[in-house]
Amino acid sequence: MSDVLLKAENVGIRFGGLQALEALNLTVHDKELCCIIGPNGAGKSTFLNVLTGTLRPTSGSVRFLGHDIAGLPLHRIARLGIARKFQIPSIFPSLSVEDNLKVARWGVPSPVRPVGELMELVALTDRAATLAGELAHGQKQWLEIGMALAIEPRLLLLDEPTAGMTPQETLATAEMLLRLKGEFSIVAVEHDIRFVRALNCETLVLHQGRRLRSGPFHEIETDEMVRDVYLGRR
Amino acid sequence: MIARDRNWLLIFAVCVALAIVYPLFADGYKLTVIRDALIFGLFAASLDFFWGRTGILCFGHAAFFGIGGYIMALITLNDAIPFGSLLGIAGAVTGAAFVAAIIGYFLFFGGIRGSYFTIVTLAMGVICQQAAVSWSSVTGGDSGLIGIPPIAFDLGGLHVDLSQDLPSYIFVAAIAAVVVLALWSISRGRWGMVLTAIQDNEVRAAALGHNAPLRLLVTFVLSAAIAGLAGALYVCMAGLVAPDLSGLLLSTEVIVWVAVGGRGTLLGPVLGAIFIQRAQQTISSFNPSLWPLLLGCVFVVIVFVLPDGILSIYARVKSLFKGRRRAR
Repeated sequence: MSDVLLKAENVGIRFGGLQALEALNLTVHDKELCCIIGPNGAGKSTFLNVLTGTLRPTSGSVRFLGHDIAGLPLHRIARLGIARKFQIPSIFPSLSVEDNLKVARWGVPSPVRPVGELMELVALTDRAATLAGELAHGQKQWLEIGMALAIEPRLLLLDEPTAGMTPQETLATAEMLLRLKGEFSIVAVEHDIRFVRALNCETLVLHQGRRLRSGPFHEIETDEMVRDVYLGRR
Repeated sequence: MIARDRNWLLIFAVCVALAIVYPLFADGYKLTVIRDALIFGLFAASLDFFWGRTGILCFGHAAFFGIGGYIMALITLNDAIPFGSLLGIAGAVTGAAFVAAIIGYFLFFGGIRGSYFTIVTLAMGVICQQAAVSWSSVTGGDSGLIGIPPIAFDLGGLHVDLSQDLPSYIFVAAIAAVVVLALWSISRGRWGMVLTAIQDNEVRAAALGHNAPLRLLVTFVLSAAIAGLAGALYVCMAGLVAPDLSGLLLSTEVIVWVAVGGRGTLLGPVLGAIFIQRAQQTISSFNPSLWPLLLGCVFVVIVFVLPDGILSIYARVKSLFKGRRRAR
């Protein structure tokens, strides 16, 4: 894999006296799937905010397809091909499921997937006319993933996509992402180890804002230090 | 077509039919009363287009009404300018839109939203009114400008002269109907849906590629342009323009018209403006000091009893009948 899509080099960010991230590197290749895991406060969401250009790093750089995206307006970042799913379901509650996906498609000049296909992908076809605000929590998460897919991303960034989901919904979400694997790059920040195990992909483990380990999940899972710090011992 | 759109079109058609037959039963005075109320209705629809679709309240909307009025007055009172009425209308619309574009640019792209936006626009209204008072060499100061001629122009062999009551009523009613219908079409289409999305969650909309500040700005500018048009029409019908037309009182009244009529419905604010104007005239003829007290009470009652405005009565009655039919 030689096509580098996203390259974060030596990224550090400081909030006053707190060094939230320090010397982090991440390279995401085209159509690659990877996960970022770590305990609470490890800096996962902060790192994702830096990767999406929402936060400007104090040191280092983030480049997407060669562009420095730090500080760019959100809509321009989206139009470059970066879609994001937020940690808290972020949808349009007063619009129907179908209209949410329509609005999402209109965000880019030439969307490819029709709304019907998007609804099928996120298993919401039978809820097309339902107001998005009335959906169950897990369905809201899926709808947001569908909205992110609607803009035909080159890179999909997911911030805790399974937060608040039942175990069945979590596995269904993992299966959904595995079906999409190979169409574009996916970076998922996740807390739920069952989900990461189901994806079984390249994984970066963060601890206190620093890289603890990185590699394929089956190696990470058995790493002594990762087990000590995050996964725990059985 | 969904039921909500069908209902709106039905009410719109009824209103247009009433507007058409009204001159058959009304004398000249009553026609001018409704004509002026329709102009204020158009003004209310312009505020509703912005407030109703974006959820952001502009508390200085009369500034655009006043700017339109003053530009119209200055152009039509200058005999050296040919096609005064047409140029006046064009200038009023453009001038109001231009001011909205300047103010809106800094507010929307500066991330000013919600109550902060409302406060800044309130200040804008106060500044406009004060400018109209202080810049007396141009605006006529406190007493304003008088002697503004009625709209008259020739267009492709068609001679339009609105000095008489009936032609001016027809002209205003036609413009109000066309503008409200156009705004409704915009609101229910793609543009309106994206605005609803921005109102729901602006960050999400931006993260999907929508340039939210630009969309809000364009909507604000269009809303101001229509307010400017209403201002231009009003001063030609009234024959005068004064600082009050851009003042805080009118900015407050238009908010009441929109809230009473039904925010986000476009047609409701027009009906709200007509209803309140008529009520004001009727009640003031008995007791001039009673009106503000009654208006306040009516506003509070409607906000509690009909939070979606008087236009929602139709939907409520319809659902009541449906419920009874189901119960049988």
